[in-house]
Amino acid sequence: MEPIYMNNCITSQPAPEVVEAMLPFLKNKFHFPENFIRTGTERANELSIFKQIIAESVKAPAAGIHFTASGTEANNLAIKGYLEANAHRGKHIICSVVDYPDILTNAAYFEEKGFEVSYLSSDEYAFIDLDELQEELRADTILVMTTLANHTVGTIQDVKTIKRLIDESESQAALLVDACQAYGRIAIDVDDLGIDLMSISAHKIHGPQGIGALYIRPGTSVAPTKHGVNRMDPLSTGSLSIANIAGFAKAVELAFTDFDENIKYIRDLRLYLFESIERKIEFTMLNGAPCENRIAHNLNVSFDFIEGEAILMMMDQYGINVATGSACFSEGLQANYVMMAMGRNHEQSHSSMKFTLSRYNTRQEIDYVVEKLAEIVTELRRRSPLYLDYIEKN
Amino acid sequence: MQYSQKVLDHFMKPHNLGKLDNANGEATEGSPACGDQVSIWLQVNEDTQIIEDIGFLSYGCASNIATASIITDMAKGKTIAEAKDLSWKEAAEELDGLPPVKMHCSVLAVDTLRKAIKNYELTHHLIKEDKAALSKELVLEELGKILYPKVGEDLISLKMVKYAGVDDNGVVTVDIDIPKFDTFRENVADEVKEHLEKLPNVKEVHVNL
Repeated sequence: MEPIYMNNCITSQPAPEVVEAMLPFLKNKFHFPENFIRTGTERANELSIFKQIIAESVKAPAAGIHFTASGTEANNLAIKGYLEANAHRGKHIICSVVDYPDILTNAAYFEEKGFEVSYLSSDEYAFIDLDELQEELRADTILVMTTLANHTVGTIQDVKTIKRLIDESESQAALLVDACQAYGRIAIDVDDLGIDLMSISAHKIHGPQGIGALYIRPGTSVAPTKHGVNRMDPLSTGSLSIANIAGFAKAVELAFTDFDENIKYIRDLRLYLFESIERKIEFTMLNGAPCENRIAHNLNVSFDFIEGEAILMMMDQYGINVATGSACFSEGLQANYVMMAMGRNHEQSHSSMKFTLSRYNTRQEIDYVVEKLAEIVTELRRRSPLYLDYIEKN
Repeated sequence: MQYSQKVLDHFMKPHNLGKLDNANGEATEGSPACGDQVSIWLQVNEDTQIIEDIGFLSYGCASNIATASIITDMAKGKTIAEAKDLSWKEAAEELDGLPPVKMHCSVLAVDTLRKAIKNYELTHHLIKEDKAALSKELVLEELGKILYPKVGEDLISLKMVKYAGVDDNGVVTVDIDIPKFDTFRENVADEVKEHLEKLPNVKEVHVNL
């Protein structure tokens, strides 16, 4: 069996067409965009076409798209650049306890710098509390940040209502959306949703690693956060890889071609995975919103009595790549904060497994994964004192 | 960071797995909340004090299972006196090493073995329950069992404990020196709290970082 990859929320395999589209820029089309000279203007024209493709995919003007070296760089430019340019209007910002680390670590950074941060709480499905948002919004709130599709359980936030609440409040806050997980998987219209700042990333949608973009609504002021030579964009100084940008544009074209069918394929596959697990394995629990209210490719399930790192390591021995919320697999040996914010206990967090699918996965792969998963869960439960305890008591 | 082949072998096919029905010593250490729990059962020959059979169950990660497997292998056939002397470093070496963040699994496995031996000794009246009073020494001894995951050494050896004090009301205060942006800050604080709260007569634990 070929290795099976179901960890597409971390990064995804570049599409063959993407690699093909990048190659010329790694060979003879290596120049930077420049005025007047032939090679320079050719690159500048290509760059503007790539930018246009990405802009159209979120119904934005091309002038609103700024390339960055990653989604995290886009988030940093958005948060740091916006707050620096707008701090004179107020020093209150709002995000939620289930946001992506880019948002939470920046919020903590600005708290140190003297900003006040309101952290909205989450319900059991990782939906943020919109009543709290309404209460927290005030005249000096200058930024509201949210993660469009949650990185752990795929919950899609109601951005339209968030925007309406901002508009109805006395605040003039900008709305920042981290769309790195959502982009290419749900339709995004930045005007319809009222988004002012939005980060996206290529490598989550079968594009190359090392390239992302920030959408900035024209008229929103953002200060540069990196200073240096201006090659392509004063907000993104230095040199970005044009090959990566070419690959990004190709990945976007692919993601938005037959978009509805593509997403339906992944959604059906996810449902098949969930139903197969439910059918073959007992003592499981779905984490996050019911399948229709979450991003198409995400499934997160906890397996009682056993620990996720052990499940993951055994899956790895069978060539299957998935993720876990186990503390033993985390960087700081802590339980997953999204799971805890949703009211799960430590055990449920440690035993949670995250499967994130792509258009390259097949039903045959799912059959194999569930077959192995059932074997692994049975074996680890046989070893577990918690399972023995449960069996002896029941 | 990766597991040695030996860790993976013991993880995929652990030795001495299962509860012993005729055990005369047993212990369970760790907790599901921490993500690792090990139970060990011993069958000790009461004439020779040799561990003739041993079994374990484990709720935990790959290295938790592998360390429980290796420590039971190492203890089997030894006298309880010899088995008590097995150290977590020896267990880790026997597995061709463990990643630093996983060293604590080895500590837990050895701790569980020692507690199971103690349980045998207590139930067979070989020792008396030691009702050690809460003291600074006891606190320091417990801190010596907590590893800093970044390097896999204990807090005392690393001189990370800047102050440890106990007052008459059972309030324990510990100052730990750990960099502000260290990934393991919260983990170390949680571990210190959990370990010290288990000590006798402790009412409150204050951890200052």
